[in-house]
Amino acid sequence: MYSSLVRIQNTFGFFTTVAFVIAALIAASDFITPRAPSVGMLKTTNLQVVRGRPHYYSSKKEEYAIIKFSLDADLSSLFTWNTKQVFVYVTAEWPSTSSTIGATIASNATANQAVIWDAIITSPSADHLSNLGPATLKKLRKSAAGKAIDPSRGKLSLKNQRPKYQITHPSGKIAETADVTLRLHYNVQPWVGVLTWNQGADYGLWSQLSGGLSRKFTLPGLKKREEAKKTK
Amino acid sequence: MLSSLQNPRQAAAQLMNFGLILSTAFMMWKGLSVITDSPSPIVVVLSGSMEPAFQRGDLLLLWNRNIFSETSVGEIVVYNVKDKDIPIVHRVVRKFGLGPRAKLLTKGDNNNSDDTELYAQGQDYLVRKDIIGSVVGFLPFVGYVTIMLSEHPWLKTVMLGIMGLVVVLQRE
Repeated sequence: MYSSLVRIQNTFGFFTTVAFVIAALIAASDFITPRAPSVGMLKTTNLQVVRGRPHYYSSKKEEYAIIKFSLDADLSSLFTWNTKQVFVYVTAEWPSTSSTIGATIASNATANQAVIWDAIITSPSADHLSNLGPATLKKLRKSAAGKAIDPSRGKLSLKNQRPKYQITHPSGKIAETADVTLRLHYNVQPWVGVLTWNQGADYGLWSQLSGGLSRKFTLPGLKKREEAKKTK
Repeated sequence: MLSSLQNPRQAAAQLMNFGLILSTAFMMWKGLSVITDSPSPIVVVLSGSMEPAFQRGDLLLLWNRNIFSETSVGEIVVYNVKDKDIPIVHRVVRKFGLGPRAKLLTKGDNNNSDDTELYAQGQDYLVRKDIIGSVVGFLPFVGYVTIMLSEHPWLKTVMLGIMGLVVVLQRE
């Protein structure tokens, strides 16, 4: 009955039970932490469409949109003890030109979506995992020395930011596309538990992202620079 | 010692018990597969291309139904490339069109370029049916056991041996 084998089994069983219960409690604690992310400003500052090749050895020429933008956002309430990182991304969205496909499906979904800029904001507890050079990492660690949670990292302020990704359409044509909007999204990655994205409605203590949508704009023609109208 | 060998009734009961455990595990896996509509509802991260979000050995829970909205940009999906049997966990960064034929492009957060080079020859985009699920839940480290087992095959033999011994030697 009380052989060492049974004892080892019991110890291991108890350990896993405790570990899973603690993990479940930590994951559940996310839902009792209020979230109130907000975006003060999101606007385009410079629009440009150029011709280029998808990669060096390609002979195909495509049109690429370079959308510079400014952003002010406060995502600090997303940083809790269970936050490993917050992935912030800005998408450009525009409806389909051939409305035959889009008309049959729900109209609230945008036909074309492409990420133009993204950023990984790690919690201080996850800094050591990020893929940064030693100097940048040292600076990042110093900025939050002694802090396990640093909500100030959630305050974003970008001025005339260059896009990380120049976007195109499978057709190769993107110049003079109308009704394009920029939208800010976020994805909270926990240490353990459920992954969450910006939601379209208030759920319990989590309020939806206020703001985060730019005005509609039209992309310029090829190689013509155009100063975007100031939205606010 | 080896008492079960002398008592055929007990040996049969133990065999039943062992079979029951195996079939329960199999049923739970397949049940989860039906609920999530994914052929592989739980996957283990094998590469560092989504770091720092996911590291090797982390366990991901997948969901493959589009009840409220279709799979869209920003979701982390697991997909299989045509003719290759390695599932890849990456984020959707572009989507053109709507419905099952929408063109999706993926990229690993930790990679510099998108996945066009990972896709099959002549394949520029994924479609919905290439995807076996979107990541909804996360459990760290637990999956490292399977990585250990696949990288050190002798561990499998050792574990099976220990399990067999335990079954035979158990006297309850």
